[in-house]
Amino acid sequence: MNKIMMKGTEAIGEAAIRAGCRLYFGYPITPQSELTEYMARRLPQVEGTFLQAESEVAAVNMIYGASSVGKRVMTSTSSPGFSLMQEGVSYIACAQLPSVFVNVVRGGPGLGDIQPSQGDYFQATKGGGHGDYKLLVLSPSTVQEAADLTGVAFELADKYRNPVLIFADGLLGQMMEPVSFSDKKVSYDNSSWALIGAKNRPARQVTSFNIDPYGLEKMNLELQKKYKLMEENEIRYETTLTEDADILIVAHGTMGRIAKSVVEMARKDGLKVGLFRPITLYPFPYEALRKSAADVSLVLTVEMSSGQMLEDVRLAIAERTRVEFYGRMAGVVPMPLEIYEVLKQKIGRRS
Amino acid sequence: MSKNSVFVGLFGSGKTEIAINFALKLKSAGRCVAIADIDIVSPYFRTRDARSLLEKRGLTVITPPRQLMKADLPIITASVAGYLSNASHDVVLDVGGEESGIVVLGYLEEHLKDADFYFVVNTRRPFTTDVEGIVSSIDRLRKHARIEIDFLVNNANTGDETTPKIVREGEEILEEVSNLMKIPVAFSVVKKDLKVSDTAFPIFRIERFMTLDKEVER
Repeated sequence: MNKIMMKGTEAIGEAAIRAGCRLYFGYPITPQSELTEYMARRLPQVEGTFLQAESEVAAVNMIYGASSVGKRVMTSTSSPGFSLMQEGVSYIACAQLPSVFVNVVRGGPGLGDIQPSQGDYFQATKGGGHGDYKLLVLSPSTVQEAADLTGVAFELADKYRNPVLIFADGLLGQMMEPVSFSDKKVSYDNSSWALIGAKNRPARQVTSFNIDPYGLEKMNLELQKKYKLMEENEIRYETTLTEDADILIVAHGTMGRIAKSVVEMARKDGLKVGLFRPITLYPFPYEALRKSAADVSLVLTVEMSSGQMLEDVRLAIAERTRVEFYGRMAGVVPMPLEIYEVLKQKIGRRS
Repeated sequence: MSKNSVFVGLFGSGKTEIAINFALKLKSAGRCVAIADIDIVSPYFRTRDARSLLEKRGLTVITPPRQLMKADLPIITASVAGYLSNASHDVVLDVGGEESGIVVLGYLEEHLKDADFYFVVNTRRPFTTDVEGIVSSIDRLRKHARIEIDFLVNNANTGDETTPKIVREGEEILEEVSNLMKIPVAFSVVKKDLKVSDTAFPIFRIERFMTLDKEVER
């Protein structure tokens, strides 16, 4: 098909529909209400169901229900809204149900503001809700990548029967770029486990509790086994000019895209700077980052937060190389020149 | 041509860019020009984000008060009505997208009786890629705002990837809409550096303001 101009939010919505998602439950919140609007308009055209829930708590429980019958289902929200959903997300993870969540992150904490941020990294990657569970977390940096990863998100959700989170930020959600979609027909089959009627077979159970601790521990061990598989098989990242790099910038999502401009600036000045951009935030690409950083003298992590991914970067690098950080919070976006100045200061070299 | 011009359309059709460039063009023709940001729906990429740049270029920029510019609130500054009715300024209105954005025109109705209404269409945007989609979008907005559209604007583009073919493809679709709805096409929007000739409609060259670096430089 022809390329069209889409906001990140719209591209995620369209990609979800093309991935076979026919159910959307959600509650509007800035800066992602366009996704809700888009689904409201598009789903009836493809005989799907759009439903505006009375709250995020209601929406996440609708997701729980729909996913237990094996249907591809999605919701989208922004930071405070995703906080409200956490209890349900934990239930869905425990019940091993596939579903796709989109968090278009805005400035926090609290009510915060409506400007772009990456301050929900801990919530996304370290649990968020209660208990020992993990979400698969994807962080796109362009509108096209947001569309592509949405398709990936539905596949992974089904493959692992696990909730998948698309971690975007306000800028990516609102920014417009040309995007194309594949016309490939998508089919999926969750009939081997879904609650679709137990005629002529024993009834199945989808549940998120077991009052026997040994039983619950068994459920937990199953989850842990699954997370290990994800860590082995689902790592995604992108490297830019890392082969000969002496300095490595690590940044994800919108920040990764902005950091690319910093790499270009530095290279023009003859500085050997490369970029490592994690695409899966969980599982985090520890090993790959360690390898990319093997021969550099400085690693600079840049985030739109106080330094959350920084902890994972430090885990990857350990004490092998100097790890520095630069970040802005509350919806302030670090700009290429600003980051470049910081980088030069850290190298101890000014021009 | 009326002294007041109103740009309406769907989300992301390009209203803000065109409104800004339209205002600058009036300015360069020697007029006194005010541009009013009455977009109550978009959180980012709004006229207010280019405010200081536009003031430097000599435009009067009407936005919510500075401390409320980033608030998630539907604020229409009272002075908009004043500028619309005052003969001293040509006024360009940048209205938010869809029905939810256009409802503000009800509040300004009595000041907009003689205004020119431009409906901006990007035929490479969702829901307006064909004649049917465009006609139903125009109908919906007309009903909600109780306005009549005076001109169509062809803003067919895919950003930096726009080709002359995309501009002409938009013209063909809009020509059909124009014949069907009896609304003339005012111009085809072409960004500054794109080489296009043989367009069906007059070319309106624009400079881009709603870019990533300008958005985050606050």
